[in-house]
Amino acid sequence: MSRVIDVKKRVLEENERAASGLRKRFAESKTLVTNLISSPGSGKTTLLEETLKRMKDHLTGAVLVGDVATERDAERIRATGLPAHQILTGGACHLDARQIMTACDEAKVGTPDILFIENVGNLICPTSYDLGEDFKVVLLSVAEGDDKPFKYPAIFSRAEVTVITKADLLEHSRFDMKAVRDQVSSLNPEAEIVITSSYTGEGMGEWCELLERRLEVKRSTVPPAGQSA
Amino acid sequence: MHEMGIAANIYELAQQSVSGHGPGRLLKVRVAIGELSAVEPDLLRYAWEATTSVTPDAGCEMEVEWHPARQFCPSCKQDRSRSEGSWLRICTECGGPLRVEGGTELDLLQIEYDSEEDE
Repeated sequence: MSRVIDVKKRVLEENERAASGLRKRFAESKTLVTNLISSPGSGKTTLLEETLKRMKDHLTGAVLVGDVATERDAERIRATGLPAHQILTGGACHLDARQIMTACDEAKVGTPDILFIENVGNLICPTSYDLGEDFKVVLLSVAEGDDKPFKYPAIFSRAEVTVITKADLLEHSRFDMKAVRDQVSSLNPEAEIVITSSYTGEGMGEWCELLERRLEVKRSTVPPAGQSA
Repeated sequence: MHEMGIAANIYELAQQSVSGHGPGRLLKVRVAIGELSAVEPDLLRYAWEATTSVTPDAGCEMEVEWHPARQFCPSCKQDRSRSEGSWLRICTECGGPLRVEGGTELDLLQIEYDSEEDE
């Protein structure tokens, strides 16, 4: 006989459980964790290279980078002298919390000041997966055009920070910065927007300050009692 | 296209939910999908069909409950309507900033199960 069973469960509850395990672990080590999401070629790895060069004298950082194939991005990061671990997804379009857990153990990530997770280049799929990060960052390069926030509302509404990259291309394009600001603030009124160019260094100071400010907040936050990783 | 993975997650959850209800077959799953969940209902239905087709539950139907996000004006204390898939930059009445609410659902709500055991 047929019967109806109420389930009422989050479809991604298993991922969310793993993410909350990661969050506890990084609350204890006071590691700031950020999940970088963007379309391919918008400059995630280049932004990280420049960020790490500027930070490595006074902060420790580590990078986990997801790609469908090749070790290329991890090699580029390692060239800055900081540890990076490549997660090969073998065709999958996003990283999930379990992969981050495994990668943290395999790569002996330890307790860096900042852990950067560079997601697979994709503006849609990574949005659904909590990786235990403190905040998501979405990157939008000037070359992609100024209409993207309303085209990809899920990620722009969830990312606490929008980084505009390749600002050095602004003079060669019709990119309307005000239109981007309007769209982002409509989807997420609290979002911070930073305009950067990894080539000229524009905005890099502001971006690094944003990270350090958030790291300070994390350090001064007492992890909830009775919870351990 | 992460809908294949999502369909597999739903199937796993559905199977967990019927364990203890004796042998039988899944007839239907009802899911809630929000506009900002980054999941596309048509792709998910297609992925569901593909996922279940190779299982004893082949033919199990998926019913999608769609939850649009709302754009709320905190000054007017009202939702502002927009056409599907488009977004407002500011409140159409007062010109003030809007807030996005809801639309993040991605839940398995209910399943229908054809049990071989009698009550």
